[in-house]
Amino acid sequence: MLGKVFSIEEFATFDGPGIRTTVFLKGCPLKCTWCHNPEGQSFQTEYIRSPNGCIGCKACERAGTKKDGKVVLTADSIAVCPRNLVRQCGEDYTAEALAKKLLKNEEFMRSSGGGVTFSGGEPLSHAEFIIECISKLNGLSTALQTSGFSSGETFERVLNAVDYVLYDLKIIDEERHKKYCGVSNRSILENYATLARSGKKFVTRIPLIPSVTDTDENLEAIAKFMQKNGVNYVELLPYNRFAGSKYASVLREYVVDFDESQEVNKGEKIFEKYNINYKIM
Amino acid sequence: MTERVKKQLELLKKREYRKLRSELPATTATEQKGELSDMEYFTFYFETVLGEETPRFYGDDIFGFYRSKSKLPRFVGVHVGGNVTVDYKTFLEVGLSGIREKIMQYAPNAKDDEAKEFYACGLRCLDAMEGIAVKYRDEAKKTGNQKLYDALCQVPFKGARDYYEALVGVKFLNYVLRVPAFHITFGRFDNYMRPYYRASLQKGVTEEEILELTQLFFISLNFDSDLYSAVQLGDNGMSMLVGGYDKQGNETFDELSEICLTASESLCLIDPKINIRVNKNTPLSLYERGAKLTKQGLGFPQYCNDDVVIEGLVALGYDLEDARDYSVAACWEFIPSGCGAETPNAGHMNFPLMVDRALKTGLVYSETFEDFMKRVKREIRLQGAGLRDSVNQGLVNPPRMCNVALSLFISPCIERGRGLYDGGAKYNNYGFHGAGIAIAADALEAIERAVYIDKIVTKEELIRALNANFEGYEPLRQKLIAYPKMGNNEESVDKKAIELIDCYAKDMSGKYCTSGGIFRAGTGSAQAYISAGKEVGATADGRKAFEPLPCSYAPSLTARLNGPLSAVQSFTKYDLKNIINGGPFTIEIHDTVFRNEEGEKKVAMLVKSFIDRGGHQMQINAINRDRLLDAQANPENYPNLIVRVWGWSGYFTELDKAYQDQIIKRTEFSV
Repeated sequence: MLGKVFSIEEFATFDGPGIRTTVFLKGCPLKCTWCHNPEGQSFQTEYIRSPNGCIGCKACERAGTKKDGKVVLTADSIAVCPRNLVRQCGEDYTAEALAKKLLKNEEFMRSSGGGVTFSGGEPLSHAEFIIECISKLNGLSTALQTSGFSSGETFERVLNAVDYVLYDLKIIDEERHKKYCGVSNRSILENYATLARSGKKFVTRIPLIPSVTDTDENLEAIAKFMQKNGVNYVELLPYNRFAGSKYASVLREYVVDFDESQEVNKGEKIFEKYNINYKIM
Repeated sequence: MTERVKKQLELLKKREYRKLRSELPATTATEQKGELSDMEYFTFYFETVLGEETPRFYGDDIFGFYRSKSKLPRFVGVHVGGNVTVDYKTFLEVGLSGIREKIMQYAPNAKDDEAKEFYACGLRCLDAMEGIAVKYRDEAKKTGNQKLYDALCQVPFKGARDYYEALVGVKFLNYVLRVPAFHITFGRFDNYMRPYYRASLQKGVTEEEILELTQLFFISLNFDSDLYSAVQLGDNGMSMLVGGYDKQGNETFDELSEICLTASESLCLIDPKINIRVNKNTPLSLYERGAKLTKQGLGFPQYCNDDVVIEGLVALGYDLEDARDYSVAACWEFIPSGCGAETPNAGHMNFPLMVDRALKTGLVYSETFEDFMKRVKREIRLQGAGLRDSVNQGLVNPPRMCNVALSLFISPCIERGRGLYDGGAKYNNYGFHGAGIAIAADALEAIERAVYIDKIVTKEELIRALNANFEGYEPLRQKLIAYPKMGNNEESVDKKAIELIDCYAKDMSGKYCTSGGIFRAGTGSAQAYISAGKEVGATADGRKAFEPLPCSYAPSLTARLNGPLSAVQSFTKYDLKNIINGGPFTIEIHDTVFRNEEGEKKVAMLVKSFIDRGGHQMQINAINRDRLLDAQANPENYPNLIVRVWGWSGYFTELDKAYQDQIIKRTEFSV
């Protein structure tokens, strides 16, 4: 079975305990407007251009093609870039090959109490591949970083395979979730309940997006929901102004309908009210 | 931070004080050497330089000893040496009077005229030193600086009695030796300060007061940091080490070492540049402490691995006690403390150039890749012989004036009645850097694959492409770039690096220079990463002609890297104790990694893993590419942005553009 990987970060510092390698699987069913990994959204291999050092000669675009009226880079774009800035994004791995690659750093991960984190894109969209890969990791600790969007059955299968979960809660109101993330959140909330019951170690994380997820109303709804599920710890991720920095590399424009410069509401009082410990990351 | 510390720091950062320095009347002594011997000429120079100096205090200063002249008098033919660590320990114990006493003890039995002259000049140098100390003492009294006045009634004339006096003593000695020379480092600061620290605690001085004194002392070291630059502003040799084994092999890191780290972390200044000596038993908590310092973006601490360095120095012939007591020269070169007249930067092995020479002279005649590899190694040995010749023929250092003043603090110069470079110092060895190993290994890997295995290009065509700097050969260049690179933990390429390093190390070992010293091979680059880059045309790894090499022991600037875990593995495959002139494994980590304690802890784990795997030396830059680019465009907004350049940290906006660009390039693939 093949999995499409768009990045392997050897020294991921925010994706779980210890020294971790994070595997970013390509493709995501959600379309969050603030997504900072736009190259992880499509399930297809893409060709992307690093903006660092780009001289704007557009040779890569001339070697590209048009898709839906927009320019996209192709494999031919790589060779024509005078600065060597275009690269393939998305590489197919067999579970064996990926496991073998990850195990080259096994000693570092084991000795530091770390392991491998599967992220994306949405890793649950690659469930079978992840499960197969984990079976070949010699029992190395694994984590799943997820939006929670998948069927309940798939979620449970992956949950059984991993040791730790980093679970995002974004918006509780279903209609607003559809508006900002492109899909219904029903399965996300159901899977969260499953997770909370499972006894598996996990952490809940909320990306604080100004006026989108950080409203008092939404944060209170999340806090209530967490309390209902018996969860008392949350990590808050304030909006990063560099979220849009990768859009140029996929020749897209970062368009958001919220004010990026607005100070985020961290809702400390709300979490205190519901007896939920929080940590601002 | 106390109000007093804040005030001094602000004063320093305004830099207005620099205007207070005076230009020296351009005393140029050309004729005056006359019949003077080298030692007498040096002494005359030393007396003149210190004689021209006038006391100065900045703000509520409690240290003094700053250079009052922006330029030094020019004495033709004076080359005084430096880049050494002096014996602060003995000086603090006995003071100048103790040194004088020692000369008086040996002078009557001077073995020859040279020794007689050495002792006579030595006494004159001591007079000159006392002269400036007296001037400062008088000025302190005049200006009501009672604290410093009291201290100067004791030090530097007699031994120090407490922590503050010892600091004044160190400041004084470093100043008088630094003014006429260069790169007089601070050595194992916490080790020689420890007795005075304990004495002060016994007298009732608190840890907080010790910290404040240390902060003020560190600030005072920065006032002259622009005056002593060898290559670029900031390259001034103000390095110090904390922790590490003592001469008996016991770990010394303690509260005082901790205070040094706290002081440095709180101030965010380029000097002193901190090195932490670590070993296999160093707890993770100390690395976490170091990571907090790295987080400040200063480019230090640098870590030195005692287990590897000491064993390596002993193998080179250093006595175990001296090896255990090693310091670093200005940047990273491992040198003995207070007893060496080492020249650890006598030249460099330019690894990519050796590959290039073999390629241009012998690729077409190399039937197999092994044949070609033999030619590369031959070039390395030839170059090694050339480097040694350059030392033996006196090309590296012009004949040095006997720096009598410096010699008084390097043992056993007084016992022997000889200057440090004339047989007075216990060690007088030469070291060479080794620049661009990753580029050389990458180029060899590309040559083996492209020419001998995949046969995608003929030997002749490859040479043409390199000669053309890849103009018209871009598709070939892309294929070359795609081959494995050192730093990604791939056996085939790492093995090539090991072969080259080992060839270089073995070639240097066991050979003696005409002065009787040994030769030491290293993995550093110093400024050679720019200059050596300019010596090498396009290389087969895809690097274009004359582009800079990576700094010291690091992956190529253009290689796409898996990440630091792979890099650590690639760069610890060689048994690094065999190549112990120094030269740190250098990586850049994006500053966002440090945004919380979890990230700091992980950086600490990474450093520890490098050390535990037998790494010799490591430095990390916490860097933010966007900020560097902005600083390059708008320097006025970033007067205090500090970066690590090679073995030292400097202010980014004060660097030449070539150095700025190289640092920015390093960040393209930063973690």
